[in-house]
Amino acid sequence: MAVGPFGIDPVIWAVLRLLIALVLAVLLVLNGALLQIYLERKVQAIIQDRYGPLHVGPFGLLQTFADALKLLGKEDVRARLTDSAFFIAAPAIVFAPMLASFVVLPFSKDFTGMDRNIGLLYLTTLGSMTVLGIVIAGWASNNKYSLIGGLRSAGQLISYEVPQILALVTVVLAVGSMSMVAITESQPGPLVNVLVLPLAFVTYFIAALAETNRAPFDLPEAESELVAGFLTEYSGMRWGVFFLAEYGEVTVVCAIMTTLWFGGWHGPGVDAVPALGILWFTLKTYAFVIAFMWIRATLPRLRIDQLMGFCWKVLIPIALTNILATAVLLLAYPGQLWPVAIVNWLGVAFLVFGLPFMQKRRLGRFRGRVRAATLA
Amino acid sequence: MHVPLGAYLVISSALFFIGVAGVLTRRNAVVILMCVELMLNAANLALVAFSRRFGAIDQRGSVFVVFVFVIAAAEVAVGLAIVLSAYRNRPTVDVDEVRALKG
Amino acid sequence: MFDLIEPIVFAILAVGIVGAAAAVVLIDRITSAALLMAFTFLCVAGMFLLLGAEAVALFQVLIYVGAITVLILYGVMFTPQRHRAYALFFQKQTPLAGVVVALIALPVLVFSFSFKDAPDLQPRGGDLIPLATSLFGDYAFPFEVASVLLLAAMVGAIVLVRRDEDEELP
Repeated sequence: MAVGPFGIDPVIWAVLRLLIALVLAVLLVLNGALLQIYLERKVQAIIQDRYGPLHVGPFGLLQTFADALKLLGKEDVRARLTDSAFFIAAPAIVFAPMLASFVVLPFSKDFTGMDRNIGLLYLTTLGSMTVLGIVIAGWASNNKYSLIGGLRSAGQLISYEVPQILALVTVVLAVGSMSMVAITESQPGPLVNVLVLPLAFVTYFIAALAETNRAPFDLPEAESELVAGFLTEYSGMRWGVFFLAEYGEVTVVCAIMTTLWFGGWHGPGVDAVPALGILWFTLKTYAFVIAFMWIRATLPRLRIDQLMGFCWKVLIPIALTNILATAVLLLAYPGQLWPVAIVNWLGVAFLVFGLPFMQKRRLGRFRGRVRAATLA
Repeated sequence: MHVPLGAYLVISSALFFIGVAGVLTRRNAVVILMCVELMLNAANLALVAFSRRFGAIDQRGSVFVVFVFVIAAAEVAVGLAIVLSAYRNRPTVDVDEVRALKG
Repeated sequence: MFDLIEPIVFAILAVGIVGAAAAVVLIDRITSAALLMAFTFLCVAGMFLLLGAEAVALFQVLIYVGAITVLILYGVMFTPQRHRAYALFFQKQTPLAGVVVALIALPVLVFSFSFKDAPDLQPRGGDLIPLATSLFGDYAFPFEVASVLLLAAMVGAIVLVRRDEDEELP
């Protein structure tokens, strides 16, 4: 009979491993959310030249704990005509898939809950289940702001899922595996994937911002037009669960970016001390989390038609072209990545310099027509 | 202990007949679409069960399941579009009341 | 003890599939029906996992729960729901229908259990690589045709629900 690690039966070990991973995921999500809320307030405060939380604990560190306690102590308010079963189920439907997706994140070589060849597919699948919970939340609230927010959010999430998955396909083509561990192991040196596939990274980054409802794509909860979108009728800990889910989702997409494009757990000193990988992985992930906050503090919110237009007219064509170019170049030059890299960097140059230029000329023509019409 | 192939087939056929019953008895067009999806899923279950348990060397059953997914997605998109445009012409989603071929 | 895990999980999933599907047909509230349908899909995905078809199970969740259920919920929200749900149920014909169903179901049952399980030829590993190999190898042409079908469906759906420019809003 086969014996697993620590002399435990392999079947029990597999179950035990999953359980440990899940417990760790719960702890990570809860602590991560507390830390991220604190970071979010501090980062935004620094960018906006304010102090941010200061008074509870040293540097205001305990402020989020106080807020969490307040949320837990709140009365469970529910409007009379809400669809109560769905109203209660919606936060759970949003939260559960996010929690489950932590199982495949490769924190370090020996610290991964589950390493199968379908890791990336698993993450995409769980990401797509969030939509269902949001639609249900909007419907069950029996409130027009909630309903519009929920429908908008569903439209946005379904649309931006497409470029997100297409960007992942490019990396899978280049690496040749969908296992998170294998993808990390394919980029041990300084040549990480972002240098080879920057266009896929940019596409994924933008789509991930939209997928996690972060500014400038936070239309579903646009305060100025929709009160709070699908969250309007929620309060107390149900609202808190939605927020935990949102911050957890941000951690997951940042971890995906870290793994796929930035070498995951690899970093100085990892070969000597493998446990250092956990530190590198977390640091890289939180660098992206802070980048998300930076973007939130600096960019204004888009309009809904701009949002959908940008996805369907810019991101999806770019991602599809990128897949085609990558596949053709990998077939034409097997085993060599530099042609792919050149094409990708050209694509990034087009996205960064060409598109705004084209857009500016279009706007200029439009303004000219308007001026001519008003003068006439 | 493996669950025998027959058990999967029984569940699959039960799901299929439930879907048939739904299509025959419900009159709401959206519910009929749901029941058609249930029937397609029953077929998927049977295909995967055969493919994994009946000793197929490659993945023919699973490949067909992928095609069924494609068909199901297309069917729901077009079906809902038809339901919505029919609803726009005359305000009902009851399939018994949508009889006229001319709007 | 671990021998019993598979039949127990199978039994739970089977009850979930049949129960939720029956509820989809019987229940009056259409939003609940849509959610129960999603639950049925999840249970079927669980059965795929039990059969060792991981990739197919994930596709099932991705497409059915993530896309089709949401589309159907959209359909539910855009159309009015009146409570005239049944046409045939609990009428005179019900006993007759029961006999007909039994007549059909009996041969199916016998037929189902007449299959003999092959000895496990499959390695119990993932099915992603064999699936992809046959999908992009032997079945490359049907795959392309399927993509054309999807494109046609997308264009068709847009054309069907598009309002004409001069048509006033109801």
